Amino acid sequence: MSTAPRWDADTAVDELYAAHYRRLVRLSVLLVRDPETAEEVVQDSFVAMHGRWRTLRDPDKALAYLRQTVVNRSRSVLRHRGVQSRHTPPVLPDHQGADEDALASERRREILDALRDLPTRQREVLALRYYLDLSEADIADALGISRGAVKSHASRGVAALRILLQEAS
Amino acid sequence: MNEFPAGSSGHDRDEERIRRLLDEAVSDVEPRDALGSIHARTKVSHMNGMRSWLLGAGAAVVATAATVAAVTVLSDGTTGEGPDEVGPAVAGSPNPSEGTKPSPAEKPSPAESASPNEPPAEETQTVPVYYVGDTSHGPRLYREFHRTPAGEPLRASLERAIAGRGNGPDDPDYRSPWPSGTGLGQASFDGDVVTLSLEPPDGGGESTNLRDRPPGLSEDEAAIAIEQLIYTAQAALQEGRPAVQFLINGQHTDTLLGQPASEPLAQGDAIDVLAQVWIIEPAEGTEVTSPFTVSGLAAAFEANVQWELMQGDTVVKRGFTTAEECCTMAPYSFEVAAAPGDYTLVVHDSDASDGEGFAPWEDTKQVTVLP
Repeated sequence: MSTAPRWDADTAVDELYAAHYRRLVRLSVLLVRDPETAEEVVQDSFVAMHGRWRTLRDPDKALAYLRQTVVNRSRSVLRHRGVQSRHTPPVLPDHQGADEDALASERRREILDALRDLPTRQREVLALRYYLDLSEADIADALGISRGAVKSHASRGVAALRILLQEAS
Repeated sequence: MNEFPAGSSGHDRDEERIRRLLDEAVSDVEPRDALGSIHARTKVSHMNGMRSWLLGAGAAVVATAATVAAVTVLSDGTTGEGPDEVGPAVAGSPNPSEGTKPSPAEKPSPAESASPNEPPAEETQTVPVYYVGDTSHGPRLYREFHRTPAGEPLRASLERAIAGRGNGPDDPDYRSPWPSGTGLGQASFDGDVVTLSLEPPDGGGESTNLRDRPPGLSEDEAAIAIEQLIYTAQAALQEGRPAVQFLINGQHTDTLLGQPASEPLAQGDAIDVLAQVWIIEPAEGTEVTSPFTVSGLAAAFEANVQWELMQGDTVVKRGFTTAEECCTMAPYSFEVAAAPGDYTLVVHDSDASDGEGFAPWEDTKQVTVLP
């Protein structure tokens, strides 16, 4: 990093929040499913990033740290929660609404269900690879696994998701 | 829906579909604005950082970036070694890679005037809590992380520390040594000394007046009970290792649980107080999928950490790993693959004395491996 902007911890929070908050929450929803939990995970991660700013100092590093923290915390929330919410009932649209809405939310639920049925690592790799579009190297860094492992989790995840979504249909 | 027709060909096409599916799956997620509550939480730390600086450096106006840099060094310098490297992480996570490093005092920012923004009521925080577990070396402290409603971390941690079953430790091997019904009055930190006032359980006669050691509590346990609150308070505050002045019902007391307590008490040595092997992840009773990662802290002879996965008395798997450093509480982690089922995970140090003398340090967790 040559000429990174000279942010302080507060600026880093503000800037990264503006640019990435929603996307990180959505990433966490792919991992933990429940949006409120996801918001909590991401907020905690921003607070942690703020505390760690002195060693990060760089927006790219800070974003990498945020991603990694969101993934780790999402995983840890799941572990503590166990699997009781494995198949949460569909949230029905609150307005007596277009069938299209209902269909769309039914579909979203199916995809999230299918994701939830994957092993943790596969789910994480898929989310980082195909939702955040991270490179294999960045995913390997974020998850602390080898690039080979990223590859194999990704291809197994893709295959498993295909089967799960077929069964669901 | 037939998103993946049988016999669909081409990995690329699958990838493209997954991209679309994942986008679609969360396309309706619109998080509420949270910048305000994040600010509120980072500001609390500012005030702490500022306060320690004011005390440490004699106080002036924080004016320039150079001053701010000097502050950071100062507050680091006071941290020293000890339980801090064991990693209290307030508002942190149970994730060991976070939890094992002290998060340094926040950099005070001159631009932020400390406005008393309270976080919204539904906010939660994660606080460190020490509990007592029995080891081959007597009662020692282990640490858990608990999620509590947002509030003063000091109070939240200590309330958990003195609470029994229900609000107490997750791991059934751990306990709070305090008489059931013990209450917490004042819990404050003036930048120098932590003041904790304990309230005896209702109708406490001699046996539970907290001043004397209750029958059934050994002297070792009484001493470790006091260390438990000192370690918990220090971990919650993250302000180095301030001494703790104990009070009973707001009044000074010559003894607490029969231990001298008229003066502020410094923490005891980690090596005498902490269990020397902790499992941090997975937490007690966790359901995991195989393979899963086990991580924790250990002060092990030659940094050797051994583990077994047991079903009843049968060892299903075993292995060993190396902690990052020898002889001080240092992080370790390893991966375990196992068939679905219920297990007891045991992590211990190698028996340095090879059978003669000390039994190993260990920690155990119940873990369920899901299909």
